[in-house]
Amino acid sequence: PADTRDATQARVRSPPAPVTDVARLCVCDLLVAQCDTNCCCDPDCSAEDFSLFTTCSIPVVVGDSQLCSQKAAVYSLDVEANPPERIFKLIDQVNPSIFCIHATNYEQALYFKSPEIPTAENFDELLDKFGGATFSAEPDSWNLDTDAQNPPEANETSRYEYGVPVQTEDAFLRLPSPVVSSWCSDANPAGFLVNQATKCFRSVSVEKCDSIQALSMLFYINSSILAVPKSSQMVNITVQSIVVQSVNGMRTLLSSSEALRLPMVLDELCINAVLGVNYHITHTDTGEIIEAAAAFVLGAISRESLSIEQSFEISFTQENTQPVPLSGNPGYVVGLPVRAGFQPQGYPSPAAFLSNKHSQLTILHSTSTQDCLAAQGARAPVLFGYNMISGCKLRITAAMKCQPLAQTLLDVLKGQSFPEYVASFGNSQAQDVLDWVPVTQLHISEQIISHTLQSSCQIPVSLGIEIKWTKYGSLVNPQARIVNVTATITSTTLKQLPSGRERIIPITSSVVFTDISSPAEPSYKAWPTINIKLPFDFFYPFV
Amino acid sequence: SSQLSSLPLHILLYVNGVYYIFYFLATLAMIIYKSQVFSYPDDFLAPDLAVLFLMAILEVPRLYLGFKGNLTEEEAPLGLSLGLTVGSVLLCVYLLLWQSYVLWADVLLNAVLLAAYGLESGLKVTAIAAFVS
Repeated sequence: PADTRDATQARVRSPPAPVTDVARLCVCDLLVAQCDTNCCCDPDCSAEDFSLFTTCSIPVVVGDSQLCSQKAAVYSLDVEANPPERIFKLIDQVNPSIFCIHATNYEQALYFKSPEIPTAENFDELLDKFGGATFSAEPDSWNLDTDAQNPPEANETSRYEYGVPVQTEDAFLRLPSPVVSSWCSDANPAGFLVNQATKCFRSVSVEKCDSIQALSMLFYINSSILAVPKSSQMVNITVQSIVVQSVNGMRTLLSSSEALRLPMVLDELCINAVLGVNYHITHTDTGEIIEAAAAFVLGAISRESLSIEQSFEISFTQENTQPVPLSGNPGYVVGLPVRAGFQPQGYPSPAAFLSNKHSQLTILHSTSTQDCLAAQGARAPVLFGYNMISGCKLRITAAMKCQPLAQTLLDVLKGQSFPEYVASFGNSQAQDVLDWVPVTQLHISEQIISHTLQSSCQIPVSLGIEIKWTKYGSLVNPQARIVNVTATITSTTLKQLPSGRERIIPITSSVVFTDISSPAEPSYKAWPTINIKLPFDFFYPFV
Repeated sequence: SSQLSSLPLHILLYVNGVYYIFYFLATLAMIIYKSQVFSYPDDFLAPDLAVLFLMAILEVPRLYLGFKGNLTEEEAPLGLSLGLTVGSVLLCVYLLLWQSYVLWADVLLNAVLLAAYGLESGLKVTAIAAFVS
C-alpha cells in the first residue's frame, strides 16, 4: 500500500506532457480503446471502421492558424473507393497574410500554460491566489485595489440610508418579529425608513414575569440610538405614552407617562407586562435621527396563560412635516383609499388644497339594523378599484316634515364633509392644483306625474359616485389616474301620506369605477436621418 | 577638381532617413497591433518598445554625422557615424530575431534596413579611405 501510494503521488505530481504534434492530436477520440464514430483521427479505429463512416467530424488539425507556416493534419474520407477509406495527409499550411507570425520568443504565446499541480509546499500560495470567488490574471494589481477600496467606505456611512439597520449603543434597534414560527425573535433589526408592524408570541410564566426581559419597558428603551451610523451622538428613546390594558381588554391612556412601570406579580397576575410597543422615529432629510419615542401598551398576564401575543410597530417621520399616507406612487393602487380634499375658502384661484386623513371620499356603510336614521355616522372609505354599493331603509311616517327629512337624507348619503376635489394621482401633493379633479355634482329628480297637483317635495334617495380613471404612462407599467368624478343625487317626489300610514323607501349609495383608458398604441422612434451637407465651397476651384 | 565626397553615400543616407521614418511608424503600429491581438504582457512589451525608441534616438546623430562628415570630407564624424551604425545594426538584429512576436512584415522591414546599413557601412569605409589618403 505504501508503494502504490508513492506511485500515485509521483503520478499526481507530474502532469501529463502536452501533446503538440498535430499528427497525434485527436480531439474526438473520447472513448478509450474503442473506435469513436466519424472520428477519422482515432488511432483505435481499423480500416473496416473507416469504411462505415459517413463524414469526418474533424477534417483539419492545426496549431495556431496565425503562424506563417505550420504543419496541418488533414483527414478526409474517400467515398469513391469501394470500400470507403480514410485519407491522412500531413501538409504545410501557409498563412498568406503579411502579418502572420514568423517566430516568437515568448513561449507562452501559442500554448496554454501548464497548470501548477498543488503540492504540500505550494498549496497555501495557490489557495491565496485562486481560492477566492474571483482571481485576476495579474495578482499584483489586485492588492492595490483593495487598499483603494477602504477609504470610500468611511465616507458612505455618515448618514442612514433606506434599509440600513438603525444602530444603537450596543447593537441594533430590535423589532421582535416572528421568524420561522410565530415565536418572537429578538434578532430582527429595524431598517431606516422601513415602516414595519409585526406580531409574535412570547412564552411567559407568571412566576418569572419580573425576570423575563422582554416583558419589561426597560428592554425596549434602555439603549440609545446613534444619530448617524458609527458616531458617538446618541438619541435617547423617550416614553411617549403608556396605555394600560385591563384583563377584559379595555384600554386606558395614562395621563402621566413619565414613570417607568416595571412588571411585578400582584394577586396571581403579572401586571405592567409589555404587550405592544410603537416606535416613532423623527429624522432629518439628510438621514440623521433626531428624535425617538416609544408608545407602550402594558397589560396583565394571568396565571393560566403560557404565552402572550406582543405587537410591535415602527414608523419614521421627517421633521417638520405632516405625514400623509399615499394611495399609490404615482398611480392609485387598487385597495387604497381615494384621496380627496377641499379648496380653502377665500382664494379666488385654487392655490392649495386641504387634505388630511379626515377628508376622504366616504360612502354610507350598511349596518345590521338597516335603518337610515339610526345609523348616522357609519361610513366606509371609498377604496380605489372596488365598486361598492350600500344602502339603508328609510321609514317614512306621516308626521315627518319634508325639508328636514331631505336635509337629513342628504347628510346620510354624503356624509358630514363631502369633498370638493379628488386627487388625480395617488401621491398628489396639496400644492399641485393641477393634480386635483373637481367633483361634479349632478341632481336628477325623478318626476312622477302625480295625480294631484300638490306642491311635492323632493327627497334624495340615491347617491351614485362614478369615478372614471385611465391608464397613464408607459405601456409596461401603466399608472391609474383618476380623470373624472361625478356624484349624482337622484331625488324622488315624496307623496304625502295619509296619517297613520308609513312607507319604507330604500336609500342606496354606490361607487363605480370605470376604466376609460384608450387602447394603447405603441409608438416607435423615428428612423434617424443622415444629414450630410457639403460645405458651400466644397467644389472651390470650379464653383 | 577632385571631389572626395561620395555622392552615392549622400544619396543612400538621404534615402535611409526617409525610409527610417516609415520604418519607425510601421514598427510602432505593428507593436500596437500585436499588443491588442496577441497576449503581450508588459514584461515583454517594455523591452521591445525600448529597443525601438533607442534605435530612433541613435538614428538622428548617426545620419547627421554621416552627412556632415561626407560633405566636409572629415573622417572623424564619419568614423563616429560608423560606430553608431554598429549599434543600430545590433538593435535591428534584435528586432529581427529576438522580439516577442516576429511577423512576416517585421522580417521584411528589418531585412531592408539591415541591407541599407550594410551598404552604407561599406560606402563610409571607402569614403574614409579616400579622405585619409
